[in-house]
Amino acid sequence: MGKRITVPFGSQHVALPEPVRFVFQTENEKIVDVEVDVGYVHRGIEKACATKFKYMQVGYVVARVCGLCAISHTLGYVTALERLMGVEVPKRALYLRLLVSELDRIHSHLLAMGHTAEVAGYENLFMQTFRHRELVMEMLELLTGNRVQFDFACPGGVNRDLTPEVEKVLREKLKVLEEKALWLRDVYENDFSLALRWKGTGVVTEEMAKEMNVVGPPARAAGLKTDVRAEFDYLPFKEVGYRMVVLKGGSIYERNLVRALEVLNSIEMCWNILDGLPEGDIKVPVKGLPEGEMFVRIEAPRGELFYYIRGSKKLILDRVRIRVPTFANIPVMKELFVGMDYADVPATVISFDPCLSCTAR
Amino acid sequence: MDFKKFRKRSPWILHYNTGSCNGCDIEILACLAPKYDVERFGILNRGNPKQSDILLVTGPVTKRAKERLLRLYFEMPEPKVVVAVGACACSGGVFRHMYNVENGVDKVIPVDVYVPGCAARPEAIIDGIVRALEILKEKGKEVELPHWCSAQVKPPVNRVKLLDRCLEELHGRR
Ligand code: SF4
Repeated sequence: MGKRITVPFGSQHVALPEPVRFVFQTENEKIVDVEVDVGYVHRGIEKACATKFKYMQVGYVVARVCGLCAISHTLGYVTALERLMGVEVPKRALYLRLLVSELDRIHSHLLAMGHTAEVAGYENLFMQTFRHRELVMEMLELLTGNRVQFDFACPGGVNRDLTPEVEKVLREKLKVLEEKALWLRDVYENDFSLALRWKGTGVVTEEMAKEMNVVGPPARAAGLKTDVRAEFDYLPFKEVGYRMVVLKGGSIYERNLVRALEVLNSIEMCWNILDGLPEGDIKVPVKGLPEGEMFVRIEAPRGELFYYIRGSKKLILDRVRIRVPTFANIPVMKELFVGMDYADVPATVISFDPCLSCTAR
Repeated sequence: MDFKKFRKRSPWILHYNTGSCNGCDIEILACLAPKYDVERFGILNRGNPKQSDILLVTGPVTKRAKERLLRLYFEMPEPKVVVAVGACACSGGVFRHMYNVENGVDKVIPVDVYVPGCAARPEAIIDGIVRALEILKEKGKEVELPHWCSAQVKPPVNRVKLLDRCLEELHGRR
């Protein structure tokens, strides 16, 4: 028996894009205990939303909770607000929101896949994935005016319309993207060395997933049928050809494959949206003051995102509560690490695609 | 030999997130990836402070991150430049005056280049890095201290002692 050695991982680490800190207790190569500290980037956004910003501004503030799924946060907030105030959002606006949220999902998934490849030492694939991700970023920029923080959805609709010229370019790019995504799926599915490295590593079983409340792609990779897009009706997903991707196995390999397949499904949805975009307004005015409470659930790229708001006829809301997907996934990560080889840790962490700025807010 | 000439040919960067929303972080990543590709300036991203010349900081500096940031800054050897990426690293941005933030990187360590934008565009980040290279060329080996630190630097320099002194003052403030 070797002596126990403490290995800190983070908050600044080569393999880690985010400031999270794990402290591992290891015996030889095996991990026997782990501590997680997620609080490095706590800024106090919830508090500021309930003291500083007016309810019409909060949508833009919560977008800054996380840059990767900016649209999901805005969407969560504005949907809650619209339901609370009884605003009927035009159909075209809903479709445009859906388009942006799917494009956002594609770019976030590609980023996560690329990162896992990089941590596995496959730099070439990382670069390829990122090259194709640029296509999505260009599309988002054309559509919304900014690459990362779009501020696209606003209470009552969306801020920018889709013009025919932009639509033409979007179609061209989407075609290229589809080819590339098919190729990427092929690599992530069939590459021999990647499968050797990832299959059977960091396995989350279905029972574990159910018990520990895993959400998002890690849950679907474990065979758990959970997706807020199918469960909570916040955007017309059913009309544009949404399919749930569920795999069996639950290792890093399946998690990435789920992402690759979801990218393909999202591209299909984007085609359908562009083909069937309804005519009409993109925005209705929002009047009055919010009163009462409301919650919504949104499927962010990483899983279920929960928003709760409460207002009492004032310009400033009483409470904004955000529960993010990564927070739900941390207990299972902790459980996984115990008994695992230290060498597998970076790959496992990244394959959950943790978003710490969401978690700490 | 005069290394000054070569220093700017292959600077290595260190990236630290002090509470940003990840928006600027992924733009930095995009810079390293094919389309923007800062590697053509000889730039490599190595997560090791002891080997880095340029420190890219994103985020408004949360109360917990500020000590880490200062430590990282002290671990980097001179000459070094600090680039604050994004509106919230420059001044606090949307997070300004929230209860847990310090309103910008320059409240904690000296900043040489400010890159604006929320999120900062990759082109802007590249521009910032290129400016930083020019500054790097001019800088010498003297130890730099944060403006609020009253310690005197005199040879022989003991970095550990300096860091302790700075940390003490950092925690002593307010
Ligand atoms: S400047 Fe904007 S995009 Fe960049 S980290 Fe800050 S809030 Fe995020």
